[in-house]
Amino acid sequence: MGGKVSCTLGEVKQRADFIVYWGGNPAECHPRHFTKYTLMQKSKFLPRGRKDRTMVLVDIRETKSAKASDIFLQVRPGKDFELITILRALIKDQNVSDEAIADTGLTREVLDDLVQRMKSAKFGCMFFGMGLSMTRGKHMNSAALLTLAAEMNAFTKFVAMPMRGHGNVTGADVMMRWQTGYPFGITFNRGYPRYNPGEFSTVDVLVRGDCDAAFIIGADPGGTMPQPAIDHLKRIPTIVLDPHVTHTSKLARVHITTAPQGIAAPGTAYRMDEVPLPLKPPLKSPYPTDEYVVRRINEAIMAKPFWLPDGSQPQMLTAQV
Amino acid sequence: MAGKRFILNSSRSSKQGTLINVGKDSDEYRALTSSMTMAAEDMAEIGLAEGQMALIRTEFGESAFKCEAGKIPVGMIFVPYGPPTCQLMGGDTGGTGMPQSKGWEVTVTPLETAPSAENA
Repeated sequence: MGGKVSCTLGEVKQRADFIVYWGGNPAECHPRHFTKYTLMQKSKFLPRGRKDRTMVLVDIRETKSAKASDIFLQVRPGKDFELITILRALIKDQNVSDEAIADTGLTREVLDDLVQRMKSAKFGCMFFGMGLSMTRGKHMNSAALLTLAAEMNAFTKFVAMPMRGHGNVTGADVMMRWQTGYPFGITFNRGYPRYNPGEFSTVDVLVRGDCDAAFIIGADPGGTMPQPAIDHLKRIPTIVLDPHVTHTSKLARVHITTAPQGIAAPGTAYRMDEVPLPLKPPLKSPYPTDEYVVRRINEAIMAKPFWLPDGSQPQMLTAQV
Repeated sequence: MAGKRFILNSSRSSKQGTLINVGKDSDEYRALTSSMTMAAEDMAEIGLAEGQMALIRTEFGESAFKCEAGKIPVGMIFVPYGPPTCQLMGGDTGGTGMPQSKGWEVTVTPLETAPSAENA
């Protein structure tokens, strides 16, 4: 397993005649996805728009997105990895037992029909959401789906793409990858980037109590992270930059109100297909931008005297040089 | 944890997304993140009435939610992400960096009294 076979949303809009949403509810969480990219758009290659496209929804319950789908597959909770693995076997005509299929909550007829449709598509795209990536199996589920997409290319063009949530989370991943080679879970404590999810990732660092200060920009861990992580944020000096007062602001020592990106602050946001889009703010704000505040803090830190005696360096930097 | 166990999934909704812009301190947002949806059959089985508060317990913590019947598979509960769900979440990420936020095994106990102000 490894790698991601992907494309831009423009290619999906122009060419994708077979769309799968797996563990996501775009009707509620990405309400413009259907109309702008995946279902309703007419294109040179799909001139009849919705009539030229097939949409499959895989989820553990019938969400509002099910109404927009042609086929709804209700998978048993926690059986996504098993179902993807079965599909990987079925596309290669390998034997799968009836018990294994029944365990996923689906039938062989339904899966045979799905595989036949996937193989006969001209351009398939699988979008996966937190129902796949944040349930039992986590990144292994995502990796399995990405592998399925890669393997489908032996038969037809197929891609996969995560349904990213919140503003510009893709941008954070892309920038960290560009700057360090890793998307998240990075430490610089030896003077160079090291990557290890589970050790250097935010939740783990907070839960273990490894950090003695926190600087949070445009996120609300106080309303989303596990309680042990929130408890540690309360204990240490936490600084928050956010346009709104959030749950994290309330437990922080300092909250700095900043201008909202794209509304009153310029910049670049990355779409979920990793295409960068410039933000042109239509309004002015009395508050500074995140960038301005971070630059001011950086300047103040640079102006402070070095914390070790003259001529000495931290041990890890000496070891590196 | 004694009694019937349910599978709890936290999720998001368009209403929640809209209310974030109103403010996470708003009464509507608090009410939304303190509500849960489950199958009417399950509610009847554990003696839970529409609109009644119930205490959800995981192995890590507990939190009170207002119950609504909905089109949910039997044995499952859905709640919107928010401070009440944080109290149910454990800190272990299993080496992935991501805590599990769906598929928790929980017990549900109907509450007769009003919930504490923190969970309201």
